[in-house]
Amino acid sequence: MVTSSSRQSRPRRLQNALAAAGVSAALVAAGPGLAGRAFADGSTAGSGSGAGKTLRVAMDGSGVDTLNPFTAYFNGALDLFGGIYPTLTTIDDAGKSAPYLAKSWKLSDDHLTWTFQIADGLKWSDGQPLTAEDAAWTLNLIMTDDVAGTANGTLVANFESVTAPDATTLVVKTKQPQSNLDYISIPVSGIPIVPKHVWEAHTKDLKDFKNESTPVVGYGPWVLTEFKTGEYAKLDANKTFLLGAPKYDHLIEQIYKETDAAVAALKAGQLDYIEGVNATQFKTLQGASGVQTAQAVGNGWFGLELNAGAKTRTGKPIGTGNPALADPVLRKAIALAVDKKTLVAKVLDGQGQVAEGYLPPAWPQWSWKPADDQLSKFDPAAANKLLDDAGYKAGSDGVRVDPKTSKPLNLRLGIHSDDTQDAAVSNYLVSWFKAIGINATIQPMSMSALNSDLGKGNWDMLMDAWTTGPDPTYLLGIQSCGTLPNDDGSGGNTDSFFCDADYDKLFAQQSTIFDPAERAKVVGQMQEILYQGNSNIMFYNSTHKIAANAKVSGLLTGTKDANGFYPAQSSFWSYLKAAPAAEAAGSSGKDGGSGAGLWIGVIVAVVVVGGGGVLVLRRRSGADDRE
Amino acid sequence: MSSPRYLVTKLAAAAVSFAVTLVIGFVLFNLMPADPVRTMTRGRPTSEAELGRLRVQLGLDKPLWERFLDFVNDTLHGRLGYSWQYQQSVASLTMHRLGPTLLLMGTAFAISVALGLWLGVRSGWRAGSLFDRITSATALTLWSVPTFWLGMILLIVFSVGIGPIHGFLPAGGMSDPTLPQTGIEHYADVAKHLVLPALTMVLVVYAQYVTIMRASIIEEIGSPYLLTARAKGLTDAVVRRRHAVPNALLPSVTMIFLHLGGLISGAVAVEAIFSWPGLGELTYEALKIPDLPLLQGTFIVFSASVIIMNLLADLAYRALDPRVRAS
Amino acid sequence: MSGLRRFLKEFRRRPSGVAGVSILAAFVALALLAPLFVGEDQLDVTKVDGPLLAPPSGSYPLGTDQAGRSILALLAYGARESLRIGIIATVLTVVFGSLVGIVAGHFGGWTGRILMHVTDWFIALPSLPLAISLAAVLGQGETSITIAIAVTSWTATARLVRAQTLAVEARPFVERARVLGAGNRQIMVRQVLPNVMPLILVSSTLTVAGSLLSEATLTFLGLGNPTDITWGEMLHEAFANGAFTANAWWYILPPGLTILAVVLGFTLTGRAVEHVLDPRMEKSR
Repeated sequence: MVTSSSRQSRPRRLQNALAAAGVSAALVAAGPGLAGRAFADGSTAGSGSGAGKTLRVAMDGSGVDTLNPFTAYFNGALDLFGGIYPTLTTIDDAGKSAPYLAKSWKLSDDHLTWTFQIADGLKWSDGQPLTAEDAAWTLNLIMTDDVAGTANGTLVANFESVTAPDATTLVVKTKQPQSNLDYISIPVSGIPIVPKHVWEAHTKDLKDFKNESTPVVGYGPWVLTEFKTGEYAKLDANKTFLLGAPKYDHLIEQIYKETDAAVAALKAGQLDYIEGVNATQFKTLQGASGVQTAQAVGNGWFGLELNAGAKTRTGKPIGTGNPALADPVLRKAIALAVDKKTLVAKVLDGQGQVAEGYLPPAWPQWSWKPADDQLSKFDPAAANKLLDDAGYKAGSDGVRVDPKTSKPLNLRLGIHSDDTQDAAVSNYLVSWFKAIGINATIQPMSMSALNSDLGKGNWDMLMDAWTTGPDPTYLLGIQSCGTLPNDDGSGGNTDSFFCDADYDKLFAQQSTIFDPAERAKVVGQMQEILYQGNSNIMFYNSTHKIAANAKVSGLLTGTKDANGFYPAQSSFWSYLKAAPAAEAAGSSGKDGGSGAGLWIGVIVAVVVVGGGGVLVLRRRSGADDRE
Repeated sequence: MSSPRYLVTKLAAAAVSFAVTLVIGFVLFNLMPADPVRTMTRGRPTSEAELGRLRVQLGLDKPLWERFLDFVNDTLHGRLGYSWQYQQSVASLTMHRLGPTLLLMGTAFAISVALGLWLGVRSGWRAGSLFDRITSATALTLWSVPTFWLGMILLIVFSVGIGPIHGFLPAGGMSDPTLPQTGIEHYADVAKHLVLPALTMVLVVYAQYVTIMRASIIEEIGSPYLLTARAKGLTDAVVRRRHAVPNALLPSVTMIFLHLGGLISGAVAVEAIFSWPGLGELTYEALKIPDLPLLQGTFIVFSASVIIMNLLADLAYRALDPRVRAS
Repeated sequence: MSGLRRFLKEFRRRPSGVAGVSILAAFVALALLAPLFVGEDQLDVTKVDGPLLAPPSGSYPLGTDQAGRSILALLAYGARESLRIGIIATVLTVVFGSLVGIVAGHFGGWTGRILMHVTDWFIALPSLPLAISLAAVLGQGETSITIAIAVTSWTATARLVRAQTLAVEARPFVERARVLGAGNRQIMVRQVLPNVMPLILVSSTLTVAGSLLSEATLTFLGLGNPTDITWGEMLHEAFANGAFTANAWWYILPPGLTILAVVLGFTLTGRAVEHVLDPRMEKSR
């Protein structure tokens, strides 16, 4: 095929053409490279919006679903709203409500009327006055408009009326006494107040209004000046902010789809702050130079739910759950078979706490621990004994048989396929359950598949995790009988089909108790009922892991506990209190700049050479036609 | 076949293709009953009434045939359905993401085609030579690498830095928000962000083009007209440039367009790794819940682009090659 | 028989093919023998006691993963699962693709045209987004990944087989069989299939290569079963758990390199076989 004659002279014309292209590429490459440097010099000198110090943070991995605060669910969006829209109250270091828009508030003797004293003389970022009327309008819209209630409707479900008799007074009347009212409008997880004069025009098309024209009119520590979907949000500091001006002049929230990429950026100095790194990343960053790390106590739990007999509101059994789990002895044995300490040590690499109570340690006001004699300690022998005594005899394959149905204990273990903790923990569980004669089969499912099976009762065991803000009402609510589905399987948002009359009575009671200590006691009793029910077995509370450039200070508030964990941190306070180190002039993260010109040159050269090659080839083919 | 009639036939075929894609897409994504509402609202206090309202809003309460009509109507009006997690029309989401994807894929495509064709011509012309063997071996090896893995390695080496190499390229995204978003500095910045994702795609994809071009050149070498050309006393280089390459180029170009689907596949993984704000990353995002309308939308956009590219390839082929026109 | 001997002789003269076969043989042996030296206990997270994510050492030649399991053991065990998925997907692909190809080639006319149109439609669908969608809709795990791979890759086989079928059917012996009263089925099974078989084999080695890559990619994107042990799943776990940040090269490199080696092995073998069968075919992939 290949004759020797083909190995002759080189194609001079093509080569010349490429050489020419190469030269032009070099020239082009020099252009932007030089220009780039010149520009960079200009911007550090300080002109325009680029002036001042910038805090660069990684946005919550969920990103922003929409900038419309009435319909947004994603944490990335909620974090942004915390910075650009005001709320009635905020949360202090101790996890309690504290003044924000409301300087003070008082409750009427019948516990039904709340009067908030709104700060005077505030202005929205466009200069219009911010008054109690804005708050009243926002809350009323959420109460009356279905679309406006998309994200936060439940928080105002018990509201009778909201009025603003004057610019500095907001009056909220509730249908029933509601003890958590000072928590419903807090930064990030509560209701953001929006400017009436801007939003009034959009009540009709609220569903499709994306609120993306910048600067977004708002009030908060920051003003949103630029937003690029899927890329970043740029914010400027509000130097006259009510609760103290931010120490940085600008805030950039950048989206990294993978935390590893964010960590890489942090290490390379392209990023100042990341929240929510995983155990391995945290451990590595602890040793990295120029990086500071900290852990805050977890605001969520991670655990296992057992289907103790899914029922509808009227008590009709539904779903395909294994009936054996209705036996409290079996559930207790399962609780005893799990070695929570090993999970904390191996899955979390020690970065968390063993969990017993239902509410996470981030909110110590609700914390509850079982008495020593109630504690389910890891004890497979005791678990086996319990099962032996209850008549669960082991079959020839080592799997126990349910004495009531004479069927072997084969249980499904549903896990979230996108959650690495689920996957890691489930491997341990299967092995531990095998040791007590239970055969568990792991079923990885997408979030929506899992949630849909959950609602229908088509499950035996599920790995689950929840986080909560300082008010536990919602998290407690999903364990109440009122959240069970209707007979046709529709409705309800129960989390584990748990339903207990005493629990429900206490749940109703706690929402009307206004003395925090009293309420905590009732909430503690509820957690005890949950603990003994063994339908929700808490495994651990993972810490909230933070990594930041060593040049940023002030990110952490409060004092460390015995484990070295800080109190729960919110993005609202972290970004507000973050301060650049005194002498660390200029922004960090320009390390990449010097190499840029070279690399751009290379790309441009490659593109031009490539393009040139194609052109040359093309032209030749045309020439050939003419010959 | 006359030109206009040919055009009409091809357009009709493309339209039918697209219609079939729509049906396949719809069937695929509506086969399984899915209730995303609990997932969407997870972690937010949501009452049962709100969940119900959300279901109605998303049209989940309607029977299948009604949803299909809605979907066709939606698509014809350029909305492509309504995303579950972003609460906006899929079309507006994909519009935002189209530009970055075109930039990344266009760059990777141009570079890999140029590189692949050039290497293909060289190694095909001297098949069996050392150059050919090295080129083919390199290309085959790179083709066998999982794209995402290569991307991650490049990210570690050039962005984080390893050993003596200091990371000097950005770890993700498309531009540096601290820099102005216009002007030449912005373009340079985007180019810098483009290096790693484009490089990853080029390295994996160019091999295909090498083999395609190499094969066509080898095919041409055997043909009688080349012998004639040589007999006329033309030098080897001239024979190659004037006769072999142009003739081998046409079939190669068509093949290359037919392989565009592979490029798109690469884009999903690469965009996910480098946080490149394009359609691939949107697809990756949609996988988490999974946001079926969004997946359906990106699927249709991807398919439509392949159909359009194939149509263009067909037309270009016909316009360029007189033999096809004659037949 | 002499044909086979000639084939082997020709094949042996292609070093790249021999290299490919050797790689494959090594990995198949690894997969088959893995249970002999990797016990269940080495994969059980509650029974292993290795350090977490530790670099290679005497007792762990390739280091450990986050749960303290030996990477080498996982890699050996992963060979079984990965190859199994790749091969099952390929069998599905090739059987279905060949069936469509032979039927379309044999019947021609409307049947053939419709089948080819369907094939063309599927070719136009971008494979990875389609596979992603399928796997997302069918649910997590290797079954849906296998199906997704098969659905997206049968078209190439179908086209190839159809072309070959047309060529075979034009030959005189098929015509002779038809005259002698052979039915459609008989012709397809007795005459066409044996003559198309070599091509099908070539195409399947290349399909396995593609399947392995697709499996790794789909798994990486989170569509696999995170508790399975495959090479793709190892990479997914490594990535999801921050092994990249930890620079745990011993966790990241081996699964990628084994995928590379096996894919390369299949590709080299396939190409060599292709060339031996048809020396003129220096082209097509």
